[in-house]
Amino acid sequence: MTAAFSPTCQHLLTGRLKPQLQFLPPRAPASMRRLTFALASATTRGVEADAKDDGVVLKKGIAEFYDESSGVWEDIWGDHMHHGFYDPGSTVSVSDHRAAQIRMIEEALRFSGISEDPKKRPKSVVDVGCGIGGSSRYLARKFGAKCQGITLSPVQAQRANSLAAAQGLADKQVSFQVADALDQPFPDGQFDLVWSMESGEHMPDKTKFVNELARVAAPGGTIIIVTWCHRDLAPSEESLQPWEKELLNKICNSYYLPAWCSTADYVKLLQSLSLQDIKAADWSQNVAPFWPAVIRSALTWKGLTSMLRSGLKTIKGALAMPLMIEGYKKDLIKFAIITCRKPE
Amino acid sequence: MRLLTHNMLSSNIKGVANGFPFRIDVEKVVEKKVDFNAGFLRNIFPKVEWKAFVDAARTMGYPELPEEADSSLLDSDEFLTKFHHGLLELHLEEGALICPETGRRFPVNKGIPNMLLHEDEV
Repeated sequence: MTAAFSPTCQHLLTGRLKPQLQFLPPRAPASMRRLTFALASATTRGVEADAKDDGVVLKKGIAEFYDESSGVWEDIWGDHMHHGFYDPGSTVSVSDHRAAQIRMIEEALRFSGISEDPKKRPKSVVDVGCGIGGSSRYLARKFGAKCQGITLSPVQAQRANSLAAAQGLADKQVSFQVADALDQPFPDGQFDLVWSMESGEHMPDKTKFVNELARVAAPGGTIIIVTWCHRDLAPSEESLQPWEKELLNKICNSYYLPAWCSTADYVKLLQSLSLQDIKAADWSQNVAPFWPAVIRSALTWKGLTSMLRSGLKTIKGALAMPLMIEGYKKDLIKFAIITCRKPE
Repeated sequence: MRLLTHNMLSSNIKGVANGFPFRIDVEKVVEKKVDFNAGFLRNIFPKVEWKAFVDAARTMGYPELPEEADSSLLDSDEFLTKFHHGLLELHLEEGALICPETGRRFPVNKGIPNMLLHEDEV
């Protein structure tokens, strides 16, 4: 495995909000001050202590971000919290979104080569970073499989359970718990399908993350990772350009992301674990239509009022959307799928 | 949290050799009716760790399950009904899961287990 990924993004909490938003009653300023202080004091200690503190702060940040944002996201986008899959170059509106999100799941399954044969379908699924359970419920219905979802956000786990019950989806088939993807509370070899849909970008330790995915996969099981990566480095490059790192840093700050890695990094990790049939693809063109559509939806009356009601973290996330578009346009950010199979 | 879930969770604390099954500390059990589906039960039966399941059900206040079970029992409606009830209809709403080796408690609130480890357990 190549040398360590670039150090944890520095959280630049300068609170530079656009002038027109300054009338907002300061929501959660105290917790943001605590976050700033914790990070500031962390940098004065040793590297190991740094890493641990950053880890705790990051997990808490992720949980709080989703606790706060889940409601408004669900309101606008429905119960899937991932990108939609579009034909490249298409113009889309939010009403196309749900169908595109379903298509994303189906395209990912197809890419992985998972069998449609009823005798060979996955019977047990783990949804790593399950959000409010959209994928879990979909996969449980599609395969008649049992699905476990894990998330850092108690609010999401709660909502996921409620939705499962409300959808009369035999809620027997899906269950959600608050757990850490880097330390999954499952024995080895438990799941025929290990599903990580846009959660990999939150994992501070990619090696550990991939190790856990492989550990809980059953022999012969399939692992599907759909995630945001940065572009692969050229053979001569040691790291990204300074401007590229700066752009990613700003995005990290808003979405509670640790350092980014490349698709090639994931492939190398999977290879190092002797996983088979490793395949990777760049689906950036297929999700590019998504962000402009999201921005348009955010600028509607409903979008704005929902954001104002939810809080500062959600708003910061929203303000970062143009940065994502910039990242995609400049070929820095890639929307990647990586799949493989665990040997029998 | 249903016993179906309990049957799939294991303690991941650093250094623990055998983290399965969790003991259950019961504070509140709720019974929720679930539609009976024999096909699902037959499908899931081979994946269930039977002893852990029976013990857990007893802790939750349901001692009716046989100590041992093999697939021939799947033809019996009476067995399937009990299996269904224990596996899917008993919910631990409040309580905790206890690591069998370290005794560490993982709280269960509103039916959701919190399996997050502390930094020193990782």
